[in-house]
Amino acid sequence: MTNSPFLDRLRKRRTAIFFALPAVIILLAITVFPLIYELRLAFMSWELTTNAPARFVAFQNFGKILFHDARFWSSLRVTMVLIVFGVGIQLTVGTGLALLLNRLRRPRTLLVSLFLIPVMIAPVVAGFQFRMIYHDQFGPLNYLIELATGGRWRGFAWIANPKIALIAIMFTDIWQWTPFLMLIVLAGLQSVSLELYEAADVDGATPWQTFWRITLPLLLPVIIIGILIRAMDSFKLFDIIYLVTGGGPGNVTETISFYTYLQGFKFFSLGYTAAMAFVQLIVITVIAKVFINFQKRQQEGV
Amino acid sequence: MRRRSPAQVTVVMFVLLIALIFFLFPVVWMLLTSFKSQSEYFSYPPVFWPKDFSLRNYFNAMALPPDGRGGLQGLRDSMVIAACTTLVSVLVGSLAAYSLSRFKTGGENFSFWILSTRMFPPVAAALPLFLIFKQFKLLDTHLSLIIANTIFNLPFVIWLLKGFFDELPVEMEEAAMIEGCTRLQAFRLISLPLVAPGLVATSLFSFIFSWNEFMFALLMTRRNVRTLTIIVPSLVGGHEILWGEIAAIGTVAIIPGIFLSLLLQRYLVRGLSMGAVKG
Repeated sequence: MTNSPFLDRLRKRRTAIFFALPAVIILLAITVFPLIYELRLAFMSWELTTNAPARFVAFQNFGKILFHDARFWSSLRVTMVLIVFGVGIQLTVGTGLALLLNRLRRPRTLLVSLFLIPVMIAPVVAGFQFRMIYHDQFGPLNYLIELATGGRWRGFAWIANPKIALIAIMFTDIWQWTPFLMLIVLAGLQSVSLELYEAADVDGATPWQTFWRITLPLLLPVIIIGILIRAMDSFKLFDIIYLVTGGGPGNVTETISFYTYLQGFKFFSLGYTAAMAFVQLIVITVIAKVFINFQKRQQEGV
Repeated sequence: MRRRSPAQVTVVMFVLLIALIFFLFPVVWMLLTSFKSQSEYFSYPPVFWPKDFSLRNYFNAMALPPDGRGGLQGLRDSMVIAACTTLVSVLVGSLAAYSLSRFKTGGENFSFWILSTRMFPPVAAALPLFLIFKQFKLLDTHLSLIIANTIFNLPFVIWLLKGFFDELPVEMEEAAMIEGCTRLQAFRLISLPLVAPGLVATSLFSFIFSWNEFMFALLMTRRNVRTLTIIVPSLVGGHEILWGEIAAIGTVAIIPGIFLSLLLQRYLVRGLSMGAVKG
């Protein structure tokens, strides 16, 4: 072996590639190849329900999605509602809980783990749990409401009433994911230096001022990461919808993932589904890019 | 920490306790339902505490439809798929993570590409995979779900392990290589043992993600393969509402999740935030 810097670099390159190669091959095979296949599909019309063969239609699918498909926009609206209100509530409650947990001393770790149970269980199972809880005749929720209102309010059809079905979905999502935001805000709180608080105390700041002027700005990076992760998750929201409402009544709880599923695997419009998948991929890629840039900036300590 | 009066601590504890009850109630309700008789869960006002904790639902559920194998089959399939997915992801992923961490292989675009695969909506990958699996006659096999789950687990594993490798001092490997170790030996003998806790945590997360996965299982399987997450909705949609049996299967299905939530305390922040927040 020579010690020339060039050969040395080459050798290093080779080891680097050798280590990464298996993962690259697998990822190429199972993600890139299907995506190219899908991209081709996105420019075709292929309806399995008719016997017509697949044919090339250029940008027709995309045009239909953007300009003629009210149901697509409705599913996008549902997704946005879940992001804005659902994630908003998760963040508020999660931050509140984190602030409280941060005030405890020792028994915290066990408590945090217990809080995290909803996050760790299968969304399908969570959906089933709420299916029981929301049941209009036998569900404990209606019973609690009846008790609390002295029998005046009773018998809500949580998942059959179009006016409240989306709230029922949002509530399930809130139940499952608030602990996640609580967890990362708590992690953020723990890295906040105590001296800042002492300084604020000395200067006679009220707790309210301390929160808005010190705690929140310092937590902002963690909060933004949480929001981005949850926003991307919301685009994937499927399991709970499938189990609790099936997108109904009508399509008031249909998220974009669920609508894509229906187009592909219930209506069998393969080309159209592929096009819709690509629209989502573009949106997600943008959010992911923001996420990564943001994370990089954090790590560089800017 | 600033000093707190005992009264304040009591109030904090009280509020947290109420919150905890809220977050655990659905799980506890399902657990209790799994022990109830049909007349108990179909009653109003609802029965909270089952009269006798009967295991009947569990026995029924394990042998339930479609062909008398029910929950047991689900348990087996979920286990096989989650274990194989994890094994492949961690074996291949740890090498790639090491490469990314030590050599910055492929630069930023490469790591972005890896992470973005993780963020795909699964439904976007589902259609082409379905058609490809169909072509290769892979539908309704364990392999199809192992492949589909690997798409999302491998990037996760790489990304998380990269964080763990980043934290290792490179000096020890360098010393080993000066002593005559090859890079692969240095990796295997020095780095890998040092990230062992990270490796275990990553594997467990990978296992649970695959265990909880639903959409691919729904689309890629028919009769031969039925994960636990498939059995739950298939029973919910049936003619009879078998709440007791479903609750029993659901309870079995969430045991790993609960277990890991307690076991992974130290790594929860990292694992759930894709390494973006260090706990």
